[in-house]
Amino acid sequence: MALLELDGLTRRFGGIIAVDDVTMRVKAGEVRAVIGPNGAGKSTLFNLITGVVKPTTGAVRFDGEELTGLPPQRICQRGISRTFQLTALFPEMTARENARLAAQARHGRRWQPYGGGSVFADAERLGDAALERLGLTHVAQRPAGLLSHGDQRLLEVAMALAQGPRLLLLDEPTQGLSVEETEQAVATLAALLADGSMTVLLVEHDMEVVFRLARMITVLHRGAVIADGAPDVVKADAEVQKAYLGGLA
Amino acid sequence: MNGSRGLAITAFVLALAPAGLPPYVMTLLTEALILGLFAMSLDLMVGYTRLLSFGHAAAYGLGAYTAGNLLLHTDLPLVFAVLLAGAFSGIVAIGVAWVCTLASGVSFSMLTLAFAQLLYAVAFKWTSVTGASDGLAGIPRNPGPFGITVFTTKAGFYYLVLACLIGAFVFCRSLVRSPFGAVLQGIRENEAKTRSLGFDTRRYKIAVVAIAFALGGLSGALYAPFAGFTNTELLFWLLSGQVLIMVIVGGAGTLIGPIIGAAFFMLVSNFLSSWTDSWALFFGLIFIGFVLFAPQGIWGLATRWFGRGRAPEAKGRRWRSLNWTG
Repeated sequence: MALLELDGLTRRFGGIIAVDDVTMRVKAGEVRAVIGPNGAGKSTLFNLITGVVKPTTGAVRFDGEELTGLPPQRICQRGISRTFQLTALFPEMTARENARLAAQARHGRRWQPYGGGSVFADAERLGDAALERLGLTHVAQRPAGLLSHGDQRLLEVAMALAQGPRLLLLDEPTQGLSVEETEQAVATLAALLADGSMTVLLVEHDMEVVFRLARMITVLHRGAVIADGAPDVVKADAEVQKAYLGGLA
Repeated sequence: MNGSRGLAITAFVLALAPAGLPPYVMTLLTEALILGLFAMSLDLMVGYTRLLSFGHAAAYGLGAYTAGNLLLHTDLPLVFAVLLAGAFSGIVAIGVAWVCTLASGVSFSMLTLAFAQLLYAVAFKWTSVTGASDGLAGIPRNPGPFGITVFTTKAGFYYLVLACLIGAFVFCRSLVRSPFGAVLQGIRENEAKTRSLGFDTRRYKIAVVAIAFALGGLSGALYAPFAGFTNTELLFWLLSGQVLIMVIVGGAGTLIGPIIGAAFFMLVSNFLSSWTDSWALFFGLIFIGFVLFAPQGIWGLATRWFGRGRAPEAKGRRWRSLNWTG
């Protein structure tokens, strides 16, 4: 059974249909990319899954349970962690504190109003492990606001990872990075996803990045799915070439 | 200097004060500690959560009028009346915060101001409870329990205030260093991100407002039997503004800073007002100077000079980064 199921998901903003009857499955252990030209509805799709935006019609199910209509923090508590297209961090906290707070969100005593040594210790263990997996240990003590843009993007991924999510949503993880930074970030992410233990849904503009990271691709165009399948299949699809890839493939 | 040792030394010195200081200085010191408690309670919202309240006088007034009524109309011992009044303020604040946190940024601030002004208007009209423009007069310091009368004396009352301040400080320090406090700091720096990590930020905000009001109410509740009277000025927006100034001048987000800010405010305003009638003008200039040149406040400057700048509570720049849009 698929871990994430979207059924006939539609969202209208006034007269505009941002997401149009999208049905999609993400299996456990799958790395799937959602691609499409600007305004294809990729970000809205993420916002629908995470509960930031409510669907006009249709349903989101996660591990067989209905998520539609739940507030974002409840959906996150079910095991879906995300990163943002525009870097969202706690700039005055160190990278380590950022990762710790992310992990704390999944702790049973995350709100404890006194002491909390054991809560912090548990969260720190998960946070530090996530930082290490993304190669950020050497900047762990630096305020997040002072990190390079590339490290900031990876720190966001580390924070999501520290939550031990069952589904990881990455919104353009290489957005705004230089060529070298992109190369480095993609290598780090590829290593992270290599063992197939993570289920990832990825939105990305950069085709190179998509073909290196994703094993399945869903193509959106004007809010609707126009192709779905393995990278080779999608690349060869005539409609996709017309709508999106242009002369690239 | 270790934080706990500094606290113990300060407490010890303050505890010796009644032995050496003349009565009128003791009166000023007692009032400074009460205002310090008041300012520290606001710091939980302003400095730690970036919830800018323009209506914190509501907490002070609520506490003062509640304690005043309890002491005037019941035989409840002073200590219990004061604690009960603080708790009452905190409980009222849950409802207030529930409404105010529907908004954020400027709208949140305006709602807190509106609520405080509402209480101010009620205090003017509800004569049987508040004494309207006359206020409540002759508020006693009821003795007890078990025949203990020590808190009713001048020095005894000072010790009660000191105990409340130190107790509240230890409580707040533990709170801001706890997992709960870490979430507050997350809300301060990026509330949307905190929410997306899975924290129900609104609940945390309501909780911190309730705690701030309980402690602010406690300070107001101490003021009523200290002064022996209450009046509507305790609910007026001017006091809300003054306590905000105490927090910022002292050092927002440090707990200790606002206590120092309150003492500084009292000292300077007393000095200036003995010298000119337009003392508020000059204090305004001092305030502007702090916001522009020392946004980390008195305590922020002091910790930098003494090389404690790496203490987690004493990161500078906080205030400068406090903007409306969050």
